[in-house]
Amino acid sequence: MGIALLLCFVGTAYSQSVRLYGKVTQKSTGEVLPGASVSIKNAQMGTLTDAAGNYSLLIPANGTTITVSFIGMAPIERKVTQGGVLNFALDESADNILNEVVVIGYGTQKVTKVSGAISTVRSAEIQKLTPVRAEEALQGQAAGVTVVQSGSPGAAPTVLIRGIPSFSGTDPVVIIDGSPQSLTDFNSINPNDIESINVLKDAATTAIFGVKGGNGVIVVTTKTGKKNQKTEFAINANFGVQEVPRYIGVLNAAEYGAIVNEGSVSSGGNTIFQDLSQLGTGTNWQKEIFHNAPMQSHNISARGGSDKMSYFLSAGYLGQGGIVGGTDKSTFDRGNFTANLNFDLAPKLKFIVNATDVILLSKGILENSFNSIIGSALNFDPTVPVFNTVPNTVGKYGFSNVILSEVFNPLTKLDNTYNQNTGNKLYGKFELQYDILKALKVSSRFGYTKYDDNSKTFTPLVFYGLNNVNNTMNADGTTVDGAHNNVAHTKTSNFNYTWETFANYNFKVKEDHHFETVLGFSLAKTSGNADGASRQDVPYNSWEFADFTAATGTNSATNSTALTGNYYQYFRKNLSYFGRVNYDYRERYIASFTARRDGSYAFGTNNKFGNFYSGSLGWVISSESFFNSSFVDYLKLRGSYGSIGNENVSPQYVQVVTGGPDYGSTANSNGYNFNNVFYPGSTIGSAANNDLAWEKQLQANIGFDLTFYKNKFSLSADYFDKTVNGLLFTPSASLYLGTAPIPTANIGSTKSNGVDVSLSYNEKISPSVRLNNSFTFTSSKNKVTATNSDGTAKIYGNSYFNGQSQTVTVFEKGQTPGYFYGYKTEGLFQSTAEVTAAPTQSGAQPGDIRFADTNQDGAITADDQVKIGDPFPQFTLGWNFSVTYKKFDFSAFTYASVGNDIYRAYERNGNYTNKVRSVLNRWTGPGTTNDARYPRYIFTDPNNNIRVSDRYVEDGSFVKIKNLQLGYTFPKALNGGVFKSIRVYGQVKNAFTFTKYSGYDPEISGGILNTGVDQGAYPISRIYAFGLDIRL
Amino acid sequence: MKNTYIKLAGLVLFITVLGSCKKWVDYNPHDDFKVTDLDYLKSESDYQTMIISAYTPLQWLNQTVPIGDIASENSVAGGETASDILPLQQIDDYTLTPVNSTLEDLWRVAYEGVNRVNYLTQNKDKNKAGETVDFDGKEALYGEVYFLRAYYYFNLVKMFGDVPLFTDKRLELSDSRTLTRSPKADVYTQIELDLNNAIAVLPTTQAQKGRITKYAAQALLGKVYLYENKFDEASTVLENVITSNAFSLVSDFNSIFLATGENGPESVFEIQYTNGSPYSNWGGQTRGQGNYSVQQNGIRGISGSADMPYAAGWSSNLPTKELANAYSAGDQRKDVTIMDIEAYKAAHPQYGLTYQVAPYKNTGLYNQKYLPRKGETSGQVELNYLNNFRTLRYAEVLLMAAEANNRASKPNDSKAQGYLNQVRRRAFGDDLHNITATGTSLKQAIWDERRLELAMEGDRFFDLVRTGQAATKITGFQAGKNEVFPIPQKEIDISGLTQNPGY
Repeated sequence: MGIALLLCFVGTAYSQSVRLYGKVTQKSTGEVLPGASVSIKNAQMGTLTDAAGNYSLLIPANGTTITVSFIGMAPIERKVTQGGVLNFALDESADNILNEVVVIGYGTQKVTKVSGAISTVRSAEIQKLTPVRAEEALQGQAAGVTVVQSGSPGAAPTVLIRGIPSFSGTDPVVIIDGSPQSLTDFNSINPNDIESINVLKDAATTAIFGVKGGNGVIVVTTKTGKKNQKTEFAINANFGVQEVPRYIGVLNAAEYGAIVNEGSVSSGGNTIFQDLSQLGTGTNWQKEIFHNAPMQSHNISARGGSDKMSYFLSAGYLGQGGIVGGTDKSTFDRGNFTANLNFDLAPKLKFIVNATDVILLSKGILENSFNSIIGSALNFDPTVPVFNTVPNTVGKYGFSNVILSEVFNPLTKLDNTYNQNTGNKLYGKFELQYDILKALKVSSRFGYTKYDDNSKTFTPLVFYGLNNVNNTMNADGTTVDGAHNNVAHTKTSNFNYTWETFANYNFKVKEDHHFETVLGFSLAKTSGNADGASRQDVPYNSWEFADFTAATGTNSATNSTALTGNYYQYFRKNLSYFGRVNYDYRERYIASFTARRDGSYAFGTNNKFGNFYSGSLGWVISSESFFNSSFVDYLKLRGSYGSIGNENVSPQYVQVVTGGPDYGSTANSNGYNFNNVFYPGSTIGSAANNDLAWEKQLQANIGFDLTFYKNKFSLSADYFDKTVNGLLFTPSASLYLGTAPIPTANIGSTKSNGVDVSLSYNEKISPSVRLNNSFTFTSSKNKVTATNSDGTAKIYGNSYFNGQSQTVTVFEKGQTPGYFYGYKTEGLFQSTAEVTAAPTQSGAQPGDIRFADTNQDGAITADDQVKIGDPFPQFTLGWNFSVTYKKFDFSAFTYASVGNDIYRAYERNGNYTNKVRSVLNRWTGPGTTNDARYPRYIFTDPNNNIRVSDRYVEDGSFVKIKNLQLGYTFPKALNGGVFKSIRVYGQVKNAFTFTKYSGYDPEISGGILNTGVDQGAYPISRIYAFGLDIRL
Repeated sequence: MKNTYIKLAGLVLFITVLGSCKKWVDYNPHDDFKVTDLDYLKSESDYQTMIISAYTPLQWLNQTVPIGDIASENSVAGGETASDILPLQQIDDYTLTPVNSTLEDLWRVAYEGVNRVNYLTQNKDKNKAGETVDFDGKEALYGEVYFLRAYYYFNLVKMFGDVPLFTDKRLELSDSRTLTRSPKADVYTQIELDLNNAIAVLPTTQAQKGRITKYAAQALLGKVYLYENKFDEASTVLENVITSNAFSLVSDFNSIFLATGENGPESVFEIQYTNGSPYSNWGGQTRGQGNYSVQQNGIRGISGSADMPYAAGWSSNLPTKELANAYSAGDQRKDVTIMDIEAYKAAHPQYGLTYQVAPYKNTGLYNQKYLPRKGETSGQVELNYLNNFRTLRYAEVLLMAAEANNRASKPNDSKAQGYLNQVRRRAFGDDLHNITATGTSLKQAIWDERRLELAMEGDRFFDLVRTGQAATKITGFQAGKNEVFPIPQKEIDISGLTQNPGY
């Protein structure tokens, strides 16, 4: 009876239906589209096409509207009045971004419904660049994002979203498939696996990340399979050769000898090189350390799916050798294995597993100091031959008789550099999605990152040269008294997870009022530990035996470091609640409201939780009935305002520290020895601030999206204004408090504002020629508006050394973050009379730099130091150009950075170290030059010409042709029916750099306070590569 | 029905999770295995360990020793160039301004010493948790603590004159900007009080050489009295040290300054350094267990055969010719105090010695007492020389006693001569050079002897100021100004302290 009744109902349901069936294809290629959605509009009924692109759907007999959609294609709506065969051909929608969906926090949103500020970069653009790290693909392609690249293989670039809010902790948070990770994790994402990167920039889009969102959010979505799709394989191979694009001009041996003689004699010393004619050109050490290095990447992936599951599987390898020292000494290798799997466990229950395992291997060299490999190559004695020819001395490479410490033969240094780091990272997520009601979905997601890392460094005994202070090996190969070689191991293990549960409920009121809501909570923990051990006396002073197990050192009363061990652990915990309501009326009026409540284990007891709110409004003017333009296709105005935070804090407490030396900022050491026996001691090592809280940011954004001229142009522009309060600063405190570190407090603030613009222009010139242009413009102005109570706090960047320890970058009130601080120059003194007439400047003589008396107190003092440069660009521009002609495709990416200054800090300025060629323009007598960059040369430098001054500041603005690529896709006929497509291409990366900067490369990455200070930064290599993309 | 249950159960679970979550972000330093102030000073060993670190800032005052000579006519700053070691150059050239990183550091570390001591005195009877921890020898142990506070304040008052004075507690952030400078006399009163408290409880000998003894406290008190012109009191307290017969003059003057001569029979108090605990922080060169100033004194690029004893350094703190000339012929102290590198090279042809001439302000002379020697450092070689500072030698006790007796309210010149001549007898190895002068000329002889005996040990500048000779002996010295160094500008800016006159 029951069954009969049921059948009856079914019968009723279908009695008024007719069957519609047919095929869905891609218009441009005619290929079938498996997995395309065919559904009845405004009803929850639909189906997907099968592997052959066929569908079959029951529709009401009285007719309805059918919607056909497929990712990346423009959906089609068609009124149907009868059953039977109906085929659909979909067109690519890339030309029309308005149909796209962006991934935001805890959901997705149709681009047309977005009222916040988001930049998007898609897989096609990423793949064209064949980047080592995916951030590279954001440079100049995502408006509002500033990226300063690093040349060292695999090294992290500086990434800033919308200005510089602070002096540290400015990294945006990275969300990979919903799971929070960090910017450093970009080292382990295979850029080939990325479907899209959405950069969330304003408060409306980031506030749902609360205390994690203050620096912007980079949302990475990786590829997934498609249901009911035949397996599609993609194979990519890329092989290239890297070279150093340029050398820095330094003196050759004869020039060097002459300058050294001049410096010595003018200081009242001896002539150092008696016969300059014998010196010749000598050795250019840069040519000795730079080598062409290979770079390659290979990827294979498979994606597809059945009725109940879909999959994306990929494996990749990337290897980048370093141009400094070659692959032996400097390298980055990465292997990726990814499985993204979706299962329909039950009709309403979905299970998603994403898992990626990454193997990392790297070797590094000493960088960014005058005695690094590059620093040594620039500063070392050019009269020294490459190979050692001095009888009765060990050592393969030559040594200097005048440079006896600090700077070494770079080859000796390179030869004695031994380290390696291997890492294994497993990251991904488990996610359950349950459709409780038609439009109510609950998701529970466990995202994790497990990273283990193992590194080893061997410090051998080295003979640097006769009389060298730092020798640990004597000229005859014996060990210097008390010296030991050393091997050090470090193992770190980190585990981070986030458990998030949230409900999405979408509903509408009276047909036209659409609501999309989300509500949920998140628990997060990051944790890790590291242990290390080191041991002296590695057998045979050899890397081959460089292992703790082979070393033989044991501690004794006089040597407590023969065998050492260390360990540390850390953790962080967060708890958050969040919610959002998105509203739109016919996609014409848009509004959104977000709230997040964040708690952190690190906040002081008085401030455990913080609340963050934001709202945004949008108005699609072009949808109004009064709007009638044949020129403008779409116009939306957007505005948002809200608060976000930054959790740059660690818990504070009054700690008693027991032990010995302290390597912290105040070197608050412990311990003492009695008659050479060391005893550890204890002291108060820290203090607590119970009011410790988050950085609070208020950001306003207004912008518009405009498409015009037959959808060929689209323009998005945003203006933002943000205020960051509560930056962590160390309050200025009386010196008589001693050296126990002062606890930081939330007392600083900054203001930033700027404009992000992106413009694209697409043109189909003829059926066979397509043109595609996109431009981005990113600018920001930043100012530090408060530090400590009296505004005296200055955060200095790392020091560099040029005979004195110098710092040039400062973060302080009233200035732009990380600006260059030093003396202004006003030419050179030409005569003693000029020196006498000028403000008192101790030690000055004719030929010395005349420094500016900026405070006009009649004397040159420390108070005369002012802003002499800014390492951050006023604006950056990106231009992506691509053209396809029949089977050929060409693309070019150009990036420009304007207004960034560089401080040249790689010159050691030792009496006997080599000099850059500009010293040849030096002052040699009245009237020879008045350029402050070229003072007289003298060893003793009584005027301190080497002090931090604008003498060393250069305009680092540049235009770089970052990528040139020419590809050819084989005609189908040649594919033998096996392949869907085969494409080959040739590529030049970093092809040209146009800049006035005299160093290797005007991109000098680093923290906020190290960016733009060139201490011999690893230059970005030029890469000539060819590649192959196959789909089958 | 079933569905409703599931949903209800789900809701209950959800609420439970939300409710219990708050604990997730609680934090206790013990979660990170951190020992806090509330956990500490609960045993004798805690006290012992914390007192060790009250000694630590002694090592950090390292640069007071080179400054003591560079600021005087004994030595020049030297270094690589005119722009090398600017803080010391400015002290040398009397172009000193309140912005001087070395002086700022010395100011700060002396106060760290005071704060460390204060924390111990503040928690002497009851620890932070309110408990009393008693153990045998606690009082004697605190004798060391009092000595150290006196030592730190003595340094401050010698260098800067009137300084903030506090003894009640370790200062916290809330105490910032609350203090003003106390008169010198009040600081001296506190130093005397601390030293007398120390003398009352300290043992005369310590099992660990280098620990503070009663005699060290008496000798320091004697010196403090001299600085206060309290000669009668000085005489009494120094007499205790002498009559104890605990110390003797080492006949071979050179051996005092060798590694083997450390904490020897003449040593009353030495600041201990060692190479056994290598340190490598260039951000705080003086904060390890090694003696940084030794590297500064070294001869640039010195090299030679394996048995040549010296290691290379930075040619700073170079003795002047004038100092060298102050020694009479036959005074064994001259070659121990000053190395004439060319003379040394000529005298030791077997070493095949080579070196770089000091590139700035070369005198050809080096501070032999504290020259870097091979095998006496480790790790980061520049930072880890083992040489102790012979801070208070018995010879100085004798010279102080001589001065005290000579200048006492009832002078005893024969006693003064006796003490002075003990020192001279050791120097010349005979009685032919004994001083027989009396009165003022004896006083001058004692002062001159102090220079010869203690040169390059960091005493000269302070001695010249103390004895009122500075303006006549030091080029560039302005009376009424240069008796003290400027208060660091940063402290003036932050704490609103007054500056010393003339700066």
